[in-house]
This record gives sequence, C-alpha cells and structure tokens, in this order.
Amino acid sequence: MATLLLDIVTTSSMLFIIAAGLMIILGVMKLINFAHGAFLTVGGYSAHVVTNAGFNAWLTIPAAAVVGFLLGIVVERVILRPLYDRPLDAILATWGLGIVIAQIITFIFGRGVQFAESPISGTTDLLSVGYSSWRLVLVVVALALGAALTALLYYTRFGLNARAVIMNENLARGLGIDSVRVRAVTFGLGAALACAAGALITPLLSIDPNMGLPWLVNSFMLVLVSGVAIPGLALASLLLGGAQVLVSTFVSPIIGGITIVVLAAVILRIRPGGLSRG
Amino acid sequence: MVDIASERAGRSLSSYWATAIVAALALAVVVAAPHFLGIYLTNVMIRALFLGVLALTVDLVWGYTGILTFGQSAFYGIGAYACALVFTHWGFGPGWFAAALVIAIVSAALVAWLVGLLSFYHGASPLYSSIMTLALPIVLVQIIFAGGTFTGSSSGLSGFPTYYWSLATWFVIAGALLVVVAAFAWLFVRGDFGRILIAIRENEDRCAYLGIPVSRIKTGLFVVCGAIGAVAGFGYAAFTDVVAPELAGFLLGTESLIWVALGGRATLIGPILGAIGIDVTSSYLSGSLPFLWKFIVGVAFVVVIILLPNGIASLVTGAWRRYKRHGKDGAAAHMHRETVTLVPAKGRGLEENLAADTSPIRIEALTCRYGSLTVLDGIEVEGRRGELLSIVGPNGAGKTTLMRCISNGSERSGGEVTIGGETIGRKSPQKIVALGVGRSFQNTSLFDSLTVGDCLRLARYRIDGARYFERSDKVALPEPALDILKATGLDRQLGLETRYLSHGMKRGLELAMVLATEPRVLLLDEPTAGLTKAERTAIGSVLTRLVEDYGLCVFLIEHDLDFVREISSRIVVLHQGKMLLDGSVEEVVSSDLVKAVYSGQETEAPA
Amino acid sequence: MSALLNGSSHSVLEVAGLTSGYDAAPVVRDVSFSIDPGEILVILGKNGMGKSTLLKTIMGFVRASSGTVALDGADITNGPPHLIARRAVAYTPQEYAIFQDLTVAENLRLGVESDDLLEDRMGDVEAAFPRIVERLRQRAGTLSGGEQKMLLLSRGLIARPKIMLIDEISEGLQPTMVAKMAEVLKATKQKNGVAVLLVEQNLPFALSVADRYAILKIGEIVARGDAAHADTAATLEEHLRI
Repeated sequence: MATLLLDIVTTSSMLFIIAAGLMIILGVMKLINFAHGAFLTVGGYSAHVVTNAGFNAWLTIPAAAVVGFLLGIVVERVILRPLYDRPLDAILATWGLGIVIAQIITFIFGRGVQFAESPISGTTDLLSVGYSSWRLVLVVVALALGAALTALLYYTRFGLNARAVIMNENLARGLGIDSVRVRAVTFGLGAALACAAGALITPLLSIDPNMGLPWLVNSFMLVLVSGVAIPGLALASLLLGGAQVLVSTFVSPIIGGITIVVLAAVILRIRPGGLSRG
Repeated sequence: MVDIASERAGRSLSSYWATAIVAALALAVVVAAPHFLGIYLTNVMIRALFLGVLALTVDLVWGYTGILTFGQSAFYGIGAYACALVFTHWGFGPGWFAAALVIAIVSAALVAWLVGLLSFYHGASPLYSSIMTLALPIVLVQIIFAGGTFTGSSSGLSGFPTYYWSLATWFVIAGALLVVVAAFAWLFVRGDFGRILIAIRENEDRCAYLGIPVSRIKTGLFVVCGAIGAVAGFGYAAFTDVVAPELAGFLLGTESLIWVALGGRATLIGPILGAIGIDVTSSYLSGSLPFLWKFIVGVAFVVVIILLPNGIASLVTGAWRRYKRHGKDGAAAHMHRETVTLVPAKGRGLEENLAADTSPIRIEALTCRYGSLTVLDGIEVEGRRGELLSIVGPNGAGKTTLMRCISNGSERSGGEVTIGGETIGRKSPQKIVALGVGRSFQNTSLFDSLTVGDCLRLARYRIDGARYFERSDKVALPEPALDILKATGLDRQLGLETRYLSHGMKRGLELAMVLATEPRVLLLDEPTAGLTKAERTAIGSVLTRLVEDYGLCVFLIEHDLDFVREISSRIVVLHQGKMLLDGSVEEVVSSDLVKAVYSGQETEAPA
Repeated sequence: MSALLNGSSHSVLEVAGLTSGYDAAPVVRDVSFSIDPGEILVILGKNGMGKSTLLKTIMGFVRASSGTVALDGADITNGPPHLIARRAVAYTPQEYAIFQDLTVAENLRLGVESDDLLEDRMGDVEAAFPRIVERLRQRAGTLSGGEQKMLLLSRGLIARPKIMLIDEISEGLQPTMVAKMAEVLKATKQKNGVAVLLVEQNLPFALSVADRYAILKIGEIVARGDAAHADTAATLEEHLRI
C-alpha cells in the first residue's frame, strides 16, 4: 500500500518535471514542440558526457539545462520563426527536428545504450518500506520546480512580459514589449527545462538515441489536459499519473501504458479547455 | 451556344478517357516492370507500392482536407492484422481470404467512423482531431501487445498460410491496387466533391454557414480512407507473411506524413513518389548508411516544411505554371479554363417566401453570456416578410453576437429563435441554413484557391448536391444571385480564383453565395464595408429588390447611417446588449435617446 | 498656428499621405496632419470610418501601403510596434485595452520600461486618479468600466510619453467621468507638454479638450479646423449627425 502511494507520487512528479518544458512553450508561443522527446534525449546524453568526463554527478542537471537553452535559442531562430503563422506545420517541423537530433546523437554516440552516474543511489526507508532514493529526490525537485516556475512567472519582469504576451500579444507589443524576444527566450527556457528533465530521469533509465520519444505523447496530453497552467499541470500529473500507476498495478502494465492517452482524449472531449479553464 | 455545349461534353468525356489511358499505361508499366527489376528491387518495390496507397489516403485526409492525421498507419495495421489473425487462427482458402478482406475493411471503417464521431464535431479544434489520430495508433499498438499469443504481442505473427505467388504476381497486384486507387482519387479530387474538401481545408466555418455538413463529410472521407488503408495493409501482410505492431504504429503514421510533405501536399502524384522514393532508398541504404539516410530525410523534411510548404513537386509545377503564364497578362494567367454555365434555379426558389404565412423570424428573450459578461440581454424582435431591418448601435453593443446567436444554435445562453415556425434549439449552423437562414460575414473570408464558379457550386451543395467523380457543367442559381453576378461582372470571371478578385467583387460574390442557399432570412454583417459610393448604391438596390420582389426578411448591421436611413423599413437600436428602441426610421432618427447614446453622453440604457 | 511659427520640423508627429487597410480595401485614404508638442488634435468620425485603423497604422500594427509617419522627425512608417512604443509613444486602444486578468499594479508596470521607474512615477497617477492607487492589488477585470478607463489613462501617463494616441476614451462613460478625463488630459498637456492624438465620437468632450479637429469620413479627412472657432460646433454637428 505504501509502495503504491509512493509510486503514484513519484510517477506524478516525474511526469510534471518532464512536461513542464513543453507547457511553457505551448503557453507562451502557442506552439507544440514535437522535438520535446529529442530534447529529453539531449539532456540524457549531456548527463552521460558530464559524468563520463569525471565531473560530479550533480553537475549533470545544470549542464543539461545550459545545453538545452543554447539549442533552444538556435532552433527558435532557424526553424520556428518562419512558422509562427502555420502552427500545424510547426508541429511537423519540430518532429523533423527530433529525427535529425536522434540521428546526430547516433552518429556521435552510436546506437547502443549508455549510462550516467546517479547523484544519489540506493534506497531510503520511508513509510516502513525501502524506496528508491532518486525517485524521492524527484518529488522534491518537482515541488521546487513548480515553485520556481510560479515565482518566475508571477514575480519577475520577464514573467510579467511573458504573461502579457500570452494574454494579448498586440497589446503587449503596443506597450513596448519585444514579443519576438520573449518567444525566443521562452523557447530556450522550455528546451532547457526539457534537457534538465532528461538529465533528471537518466538515473532511472538507460540512455539511448530514442529515450525521450515514449515521453513525448504523454507529456503532450498532460499539458493539454492541464489547460496550460502550473497548478493544472500538477493536478493533471497527479490524476493521470495516479491512474496510470493504478491501472498498471491492478490491470496490466500494457494497458497502463495507454491510460494517460485514453483518459486525456476523453477529458478533452468533455472539456476542450482542459482542467484549468471553465 | 450549341458549339460550346458539344465542346463541353467532349471535354468531360475526355477527362475520363485521359485518366483511363494514363491508368492503362501505368498498368502496362506495372506488368512489364518485374521483368526488368532484380529480385531484391522487386521485393522492395512491392512494399513501397502498398505504402504508396497509404500515402494517397494521407494526402486525401491531410493534403486536401487539412486534417493533420498521425494515425493513418492504424488502418494499415488493422488490415494487416485482419489478414494475419484470420489466416493464423481460423483458416485459409479463397473463402477465408474474402472473409478476412471484408473483416479488414469493415473493422477499419468502423474504427475510422468512431474516431470521426469523436473528433469532427462542430467547433472541435483542428488540434483535437490531431490528438485523436495520435492516440489511435498508440492505443492500437498497446492492444496488440496485450493480445498475448493471439496477436503475437511485440514479435507479431508470421508463417501463417498465404498465397505463395511469384514476386511478379505480387508486384502486379500491388501496382494495380495503387494505380486503381490513384486513378479514382485523381477523378475524385477533380470532381465537384474535391472542391468541397479544399473548401473545408481553407475555411471550415464558412462551409458550415453555407449549409455544408462538414462533420459528416470529414467522417465519411476518414472512413473511406481508413478502408483503403486497410486494404493496402491487408495486401502487404498477405504478401510478406509477417505482421508486427510497427505496422500500426505512430512512427509509420508520422513517416507517411513525411512522404506526403516531401512529395507535395494535395498533388496525389507527389505523395506516391515520396513514399516509393523514400521507402526504396532507405531499403538500399539501411545496410550501408542507415543513420546518414534518416538524417538526410529529417533535414529535407524540415527544410521542405519551412521553405516549400507544397513539397518538392511544387518546384516542378511552379516552373510549369510560369512557363504557361509566359506572355499572358496578370488576370488571364489566373483564369482557369472553366466550362461552367449559370442557369436559373428551378424548384423551391426564393419566390416561395412570398406565399409563406408564418413570420420568417421571431426572437424571444434572447440572452447571451460569456462567463460573467452579459453581451445580449432580453432581445425581442420579430422580423416580418418583406422587411429590411437594420441593427445599429455603438461598438460592443452586441450586433454581431446577435447574428451569431441566430445562425448557430449553441451560441446563446437563453431564449429562443424561431425560423419560419421552427425553433432552432441547439442546432448546428448547417442545419440552421436548412431552415432558411443565410449569413454573410464582416470580413470577406472566401475560399482563396477556388474559382468563382467553384464557390457558387459550393453554395449550392445543400440543394443540388455534388458529383463524386466529375465536374458538373451547370450551376443553377436563383434569379437575384444571377442579377448580382451580372451587375458586378462576376459572370464573366467564373474561372478566376477568388483571391484575385477586387474587394467589391468579393462582397458581390459573398452575397451571391448566400443567396444561392435560398434563404428566407438574410443576415448581413456590414455588407458595404470598404466599398465605394457606387458599389454601396448597387448593393442597396439589390437589397431593396430582395425585400420587395422576393419577400425576404433582411437583418442588416451597418455603420453607415446614411445608407441605413435610405433603405431600412425598421431600425433596432442596441446598446450594451439591450434593445434601446425598435421603430421606424423617423422614430429612431428623431430620438434624443439615440443621439445621446451615439455621442456617448448616456451610460446606462433605461430598462 | 504654432506649427506655422515654429516650422514643421518641431512637430512631434507628422503623418503625410497615409493610406492603409486590410486586404485590398483601403480603410484610411491619403491622410495627412501634424501635431506639435503640447497640442491636442482630435479626429472625429462615426463608427467604421477608419479612426482606429489610423491609430493602428501609426503604431505599426496595420501596414501602410503608402505615405509616411514621422516621430520627432524620424521616419517610423511600418516600424515594429514595440520599438515605436519605446520612442515615448503611449497608445491606448479602444478594445481589449487593459489586461483583465492582471492586477492594477501589473497593468501599470507594463506601462513603464523597467519596474524601478514605477515607484518614481506613481505620484503622477496619484495626482490624476487617486482611486487607482487605492486598488493596486485588485484584478483589473474587477474594476468598473469607468475605473478601467482611469487605469488605461494612468498607464499612458506613467510612461511619460511625448505623445499619447488615445482611442475613444470617453466611450461608455458617465458625464462626470468624461469631464474628469478632459481635466486630466488638459493638465498633462500643460504640465509636461505632451502632445495628444485623440480619436472620438463624443463631440462635447472632443471640443472641450482639443486645440484642433479633423473629421474622418470613409477613411478620408473631409474637414479640419480650430476647435475654438465659433462655427465649429455647428459644422461638426452637420458632419456627425445620425
């Protein structure tokens, strides 16, 4: 029972961390980043490079974030800027980008499975069961990430400008806000979050050129169900992640794998705006 | 006249013959090809030909109709698994073969129908249907995984009995399937119905307000394309004797999008070449340069999406068009050879309005709220036969919202609207068009790449239907619509794409299209915006005729109050969502209250 | 008058032969005028005559097909809106003019380039509309219609602009509020020498604040003159009657 509860909480935390970058990009840019899975992969390989070079395993996360930010800035400028008025084509272009990134990684690292050192290993005793320490760390990270993103959006000037662009882009421009720059920085930030998330999940998974792909569709569904808001994403991760754990445990892990997709399709049919909007 | 008619008949016949001849030539190539190709290439080509059929269906759904589908592979998978499951578990032979094919087609059609029902409701965002098509293959693959030994789980099924014909035979089967599907698709997209698909892609909402059942058409197309995809998958499974979950997977679904995008959306031939070219090349390079090839395809895909949205085929067709245009002046270059004639419509017609005795439109206690914001509150208006009713009021008074609440049953929050004795309930726009409501829009949002003739034919779909595989050469229009076309000179521009029309002509065409739906109530939202004085006068006299000679009831939103004064029989003044006044032109013009509202001296409308 | 004395090079805003619109249809046709520092010009016209489009063209939201817009002598025609705004132009549109879901304070913050300027300039808002300063933490959407207009004007003032472009600020306001708006605009113009381009339908309000007027009809300026002139009211009445 305790294990089940911990499974639900840690799985939800993981989903939240992984989907956050996708949500930031969709929220500000109205753009669905199908390269999100590839960005997770880039984060995983960044972690591999950092620990392979002998650096402290905790450095994997900031390193991945920096790589992601730079990658995001370049991608926004080269690929996305011409596609702002063709949102469905932007989905396809980012999907193509994902293929390209996966191939580049294969050129460099080969097809095989790689590993990165974990900052913390072993188990911790909690609620009278021994549980993976790193999964528990992820719960703390998810809470911190939620708080940090809220602070960024609600207590900084960048956050205010970004929210202004989300609500009414033309009005924001008329007040002197460079919405193009806001979008570029946002995409960089979203990519940085995705890569950092990739680094954060590597201790639990093996690293391969397509490691991010299975997460893409679930993150996408969670973000849409969330109604593109931080509390909404937390709720969606908890509800759908919880359902996934329950179905996997009591029904079948295979059916568990489609729980999020099916539930999301149903929820969005009933409430097209997701959980946050009426 | 006789000459023109005979030439027309000759042309429509020749388009069949041309397609048949090309198809026959293609079939001849298909029959001959295996003798010249090596065994390996033949093998690879058979697979590519089946995938070409899949690419064709993606092109119809996405390229022509604009539904971004990630899940066409699911139908391919359903077909493949129907074949494998029946032959493995139940039996094999001609009877079982036919049964399995029927099962493949029926189950794919059923799944497509269910997905269509869920995703193509009126008001669904295009993103939602994409989500559904994304979910479909993912769910299907998991079901296959969950099927244990029955479906073979992740390793799939193989070694089931099938027809071990020679490679050449299979090549001919696959090739013939592709040629036949392509030939029908070719005729289909060039027929009347194909124009409707393009119109849905360009402006779905506008189609609904012309009475076109968009959701039904999309679902129908999805079902047919799903069934065709299943046949291709079935053929592929019967040929290779192996099925695996990847055949139904999301990756094959996205790959088929890549073929279509690279080859050229909405060209049919582009996607076929894209599928065959990419699939055959990757089979060759998968040994020597597997990653490099995928890398090249990925880069090409991104570049084509950004720089050549119409695919590599557009380089060729673009050059061809420039060549054909050489030496012609601008307008003539955009003229299509249009063989359409306009004829007066028979049947019900607008004149019937004169005989009706119920009032054409009655609005009772209509309210409309968005959250806490009340946009319309307690509107009561009755529109009588042969009446031109102008709705005036400052910006934000709720005029356009009122139009919206009349023409779409799900817009209002309370009250009822009755059209010719029938309440609109929660009806969708296209059903309200059938009740006799025609609505024109504030912005001239026509269908850019369709010709004037196509647009008019589109507007007649509700009444006259559309042919699936050919172009009808006559468009029947009610008398006043013909008058407008003549007055604006549009009747001589039937072959021109609407994006090249002047603003005034677009307004004229818009009005003619709405009249073509034979409404009894006409809702016009600023029909004279951006027009010159002369054009305004022309529109004014058309409206007067519609009201006086055809007994239409016209609701007009108009900012030009001089124009309103000249042509209205009654004026309704809206202010902050409430009705301020409903009276004759003199009453409204002389009202101090109205003056005060317009000059902004009064804030609250008296209750 | 002052334009003649100082030479046109001193005008804050100079619009020459401006034509713009959507699709093929021009909404603004060959419009020219100039505004000097400390001057209020009102453009009058009924709905749909192109007034809002004129302001949007100046701000760079709608593309000008011909003609020029110059700010302090520098050409800004078809420039990106955010750069035009940063040249000390405060634009207050008519519709969706404030961020309903942001607080009053956040709306004001968006009026200045950086947050530290806000505190220095809060006095400007306090002097004009004390009620706004009392409601800084409230969500802007919960303000009454009149208060929203006060917030809108406050956001313009706090930017300390050279010129304000104001689209129908009086619409839907009670007479006392309209008078308050007029008072604030006149005070600002006198104190800081701000130029104002006002777009209006409300004749009494327009004449009470403006130095000069121009009438826009189907996109063209059909009449212009001095707001203080004796015949003005009658001329305008004739042009704007219902």
